[in-house]
Amino acid sequence: MVSTTNKHTDQITTAQAAVLVINYTLGASIMTISRNLLEAARTPDIWISVILSGLICFLAGLFILWLCQRFRGKTLYEFMPEITGKSVAYVIIIIMIVYFITMSAYELRMMTEVTSDFLLEDTPRWSIIMAFMWIALYLNVGGINSMARLNEIVLPITLIFFMVCILSSLNLFDIKQLRPVLGAGITPVLHGIMPALSALTGYEILFILIAFMKTPKQGIRALHAGVWIPTMIILITVILSIGVLGLYATANKTYPTLTLVRSYEYQGLIFERFESLMLVIWIMQMFTSFSIMHYAASLGCSTMFNKKPNSLLFVTLPLIFIVSMVPKTLMETVKLGEMLGVASIILFGGFPPILLLVSVIRKKGMRRK
Amino acid sequence: MSRTMRIGLMLTFIVLQVITTGCWGHREIEDQSVYIGLGLDVGSPSKFEQEANEQGGHYPKMNTVTVTVQIAPAGSSQKQGGQGSPSSGSQGGSYQNQQLTGDSILQVFRQFALRNEPPLVGLHLKVVVVSSELAKQYGMGQIFDFIFRDNDIRESCLVMISHGKASEVLNSQHPGEIPAFRLRDAHRNRYRNQKILPPVTLVMLENNVRSKSSFMLQNIVSAEGEQYLSGAAIIKGETNKWVGELSEAEVEGLSWITEKKLGGVVKTYTIDGRAITYEIKNASAKVVPIVSGDDISFQIKISSEGRLIEDWSQPDITPQQTTVLQKLEEKFEEQARKQLGQALYKLQNVYHTDAAGFGEQIRISHPKVWKKVKDNWDDIFSHVPISYDIKMTIIDYGSSKE
Repeated sequence: MVSTTNKHTDQITTAQAAVLVINYTLGASIMTISRNLLEAARTPDIWISVILSGLICFLAGLFILWLCQRFRGKTLYEFMPEITGKSVAYVIIIIMIVYFITMSAYELRMMTEVTSDFLLEDTPRWSIIMAFMWIALYLNVGGINSMARLNEIVLPITLIFFMVCILSSLNLFDIKQLRPVLGAGITPVLHGIMPALSALTGYEILFILIAFMKTPKQGIRALHAGVWIPTMIILITVILSIGVLGLYATANKTYPTLTLVRSYEYQGLIFERFESLMLVIWIMQMFTSFSIMHYAASLGCSTMFNKKPNSLLFVTLPLIFIVSMVPKTLMETVKLGEMLGVASIILFGGFPPILLLVSVIRKKGMRRK
Repeated sequence: MSRTMRIGLMLTFIVLQVITTGCWGHREIEDQSVYIGLGLDVGSPSKFEQEANEQGGHYPKMNTVTVTVQIAPAGSSQKQGGQGSPSSGSQGGSYQNQQLTGDSILQVFRQFALRNEPPLVGLHLKVVVVSSELAKQYGMGQIFDFIFRDNDIRESCLVMISHGKASEVLNSQHPGEIPAFRLRDAHRNRYRNQKILPPVTLVMLENNVRSKSSFMLQNIVSAEGEQYLSGAAIIKGETNKWVGELSEAEVEGLSWITEKKLGGVVKTYTIDGRAITYEIKNASAKVVPIVSGDDISFQIKISSEGRLIEDWSQPDITPQQTTVLQKLEEKFEEQARKQLGQALYKLQNVYHTDAAGFGEQIRISHPKVWKKVKDNWDDIFSHVPISYDIKMTIIDYGSSKE
């Protein structure tokens, strides 16, 4: 397959790659992660699951890194046919494109669910969605570089404000809620790994990003940042949710992280209600991960059909919209999120090692020095 | 770029500006009823409702709960309290109490619209007061179900129990004063008086309700149109219903083990019946659960330092002598022990409810034992031996020697 993007002019730095991975990872799940974890394992030890999942993600990311380093300058979509042959590659690529489309649709849907519930109650959904999608489209037409730049601007803002919002609950923090550590043994912790993984998988975007990096050798740095920073953020969110809200309230709230911000009140500050601030910040965060997913899906299509990526951005956009409207209820949306989590673990946890093995056996790509 | 494209783009941008501004659903604050306090009583239709009912103004419902909403003054355009609201008392216009009865809180809220009131907005709800009578009949999980689910009401809102009617607690005789705000700020005085319980917010309540653990809520009485924080209401975890109250002295006694920082006093009497007072400067308590086989017991160790701050005895006690000091310390210890003992007795033998967090200690230190006992912990707790030891030291006697 011929490269359809100009990777000589459209390159990103290592820092930009790292920022993109972080933004891609931190999406809808941050609002519900504590509840998802507690539904899998009713124990305060789930923070250990988060750390373990971070480790697993890092290891899985290493495989992707090794694969990408065998095929310099090529995205997953480009080197996949070299490894497995065209027919198999097409099937896998289509699955991945479907994954990216569904994932971005899910992000979009969660964004509208939360905003229309807590922020813009009477604003029609289509107007929220349209503004969101069109701006993402406009951004992505500019290619990966413009996306990377926007992400660079957005990430520090979102991280700082998000942290301020959730750390402000610290004076309600009760360490007793987190004790006893490992009171129920290690088994529940292991049960918690699955939902933690589905929230933390984001390293897969490296499949695409490394091809665009100026210095692909530094991919490991992007992986470190892309795995550990989201892990830290989710870890803090989970620990605070349980410590402040308590185990049972956390397990019972639809959006525990939002509840966390709504559970404290400071009088005499500029804001009394921090949740509006957090939601605004979070929408920015959702926007970045949505746009990256949209780009990833379109890039896959463009490589497959050998078309310019810009034209395919217009094709995938309505698809995403339609998929985002498929779940009828909130429960179905949540279900979709869970399915996506499992899909991502299989696709990007299970496949890369196999691909690496096949490529080594069939002697495809460059050998590592 | 061609001319037509340029014009097309410009038109697009103009249209975009119109349709992407986020102010579609804007609402003016003057046109809303921002309720800041909510009182829930056992249903008893007000006079207004009875009269309306006689003229056919009713809908199918049971009179389960009477909802009192306290509405903050919105702007100068707002009519003054008292006149426009048939069920509110006579107030100075700083707030408005509205009352309706029904069996679904949300339906009652929506029913306010029939009285041509501006729509109720719960974003700034500060305090929910439930009458003990209602909490006796219905579990907290039932009463608060709507409030837990509602997306307007913030989880930082406080929850209290009124000994009498909740609607009375939400009244004030002082013009310019808003009862809901006073209740919200009440717990700020805790550093001065340990009879005030730590604030319980909605999310804490939800956690307690869902975990089926017993807990205490601030009890409020109202007298002469003023609120008074008095003791604690006990909610039993199994049913989530109100089972009884602890008096002020008992709450003070329990605070030795439930509070981290104490800011109160211990008052006792000398042999000839004169008051002497100890001001707590610091205190630390350790509740040690002891498990051997199936037997659970607790050992409480309290130590405190403080000052002798008031002395009505005649002639004055000279606290410089160590023997005198020791005797005084023993007196204070005895008093604290008495208060704590009384509270524990009530919890164990009268209410059979562990509202003081003893189960929590077992859960943390003996998680395996807790798994076995948690389902009927309240019963087990009633028979658990608790020993307590209080050590108080007078380290100074203020700025006057005698």
